[in-house]
Amino acid sequence: MKPEPILQFRGLRKFLANRWLLDISELSISAGQCMILSGDNGVGKTTLLKIMAGLEPPDAGEVSYDGKVLPLRTAPQQYRDNIVYLHQSPYLFDCSVIDNVAYGLRRRRMPRAAVQAKVAEVLEWAGLEHLGKRNAKYLSGGEKQRVALARARVLAPKVLLLDEPIASMDYKSRERTYVLIERLKKEGMSVVITSHELSAVLPLADVHMYLRDGKLHDERQDNTAAQMSWLISSENRHND
Amino acid sequence: MDNLLGASREALLLLVSGDPSLWTIVGISFSVSLKAILLTAPVALVIAFLLAHTRFLGRRALITLFQTLLAFPAVVVGLTLYLLLSRSGPFGDLRLLFTQIAMVIGQMVLCFPILVAMGHAAIQAADRRAWETAITLGARPARAMLTLMHEVRFGLVAAVIAGFGRIIAEVGCSLMVGGNILNHTRNITTAIALETTKGQFAEGIALGLVLLVLALLLNFALMLLQGKGVMHS
Repeated sequence: MKPEPILQFRGLRKFLANRWLLDISELSISAGQCMILSGDNGVGKTTLLKIMAGLEPPDAGEVSYDGKVLPLRTAPQQYRDNIVYLHQSPYLFDCSVIDNVAYGLRRRRMPRAAVQAKVAEVLEWAGLEHLGKRNAKYLSGGEKQRVALARARVLAPKVLLLDEPIASMDYKSRERTYVLIERLKKEGMSVVITSHELSAVLPLADVHMYLRDGKLHDERQDNTAAQMSWLISSENRHND
Repeated sequence: MDNLLGASREALLLLVSGDPSLWTIVGISFSVSLKAILLTAPVALVIAFLLAHTRFLGRRALITLFQTLLAFPAVVVGLTLYLLLSRSGPFGDLRLLFTQIAMVIGQMVLCFPILVAMGHAAIQAADRRAWETAITLGARPARAMLTLMHEVRFGLVAAVIAGFGRIIAEVGCSLMVGGNILNHTRNITTAIALETTKGQFAEGIALGLVLLVLALLLNFALMLLQGKGVMHS
């Protein structure tokens, strides 16, 4: 039986730079599912993630969250607390790692002692205990990515949207980040990952969608030889 | 030259000896300007944020207007306020003319465009990801605005310092709406103007020295902040 979608978009359209950047008939994220979203540069992957996160408004479409259809304009306010988006290069606030991780918990008005306990637990989860008091601005790219993942995980969102989480990383950082994403998936969090480097993230995928000419294609249903060759050539182009 | 050296020596003595009338003037200056900047900054910085982060009809025209107002002469602000607050003016019944409140209002008008224009530039230059990250982590827009302002705090404090520097050193507006009344509305700049016309150079130089030291300290603080801003960007 197909699992119930947590977040679902129908007839999603976004007009940008004099064209319909996105024209997606249906997009569903199910509980505990890991979706890989691939496509060429500038095809609209980041815009799609931001729309899903409620950071950018679509021009048309219908949104359902937890089976309930929501008005397009106010939908993000209703589901935003359960969806966290991470930028390709995560933004960490100009304060300590602890304060960064605690940011979302404080916004939820959690008592101080509970915040401290949750932050300590998630820092241990991410192997970042030793960096707690460091200013997050001065961490390496890999460390920043792990802090951002810990900051998202501590909020226990239902859906985590990761924009190119392993791009421009050395092998070791990439491996550590991959392990954390794998753990999040095992913990039952729905994860959507955009990536150029398909070979690195495909092992995580339950669903693989690719975006081309504004349309979303399901790789499993649409697995023709021509599309596979397009995907491989697309990856090769990015790796060159 | 001897005249200048003698007056300067006398000025230093006045400052060091803690001359009450001199320090009262300094106190009025700081009291008025601090009140003006503290009352203006929150409103001006929120407007700066709205100009940088929202899109509405006339936004560009407003930004241009605030940038133009940066060069607005203090004496014209003083004249306009004088006409508004004088007995025959629309706010004459409030009897605010020649009071410290009138001086505060004048200085608020003067520093407002500086705070908006410089604050807008600082917030405009902020990384958009800061806002998006705050929102995606559950901050409501007002809280996300404060987070963003914290991220560009060095630029905003620089705006506040520049605004304070402008109003504590202005003379035209304070003279017109304050009236230069001893122990009441006489501040550093209006006192310098008066003492000079009376030939009392020592007090003028002493007060000028206070302003110079203040300008030096403000610039030093600005330099430090700008350095920090670069390091953190």
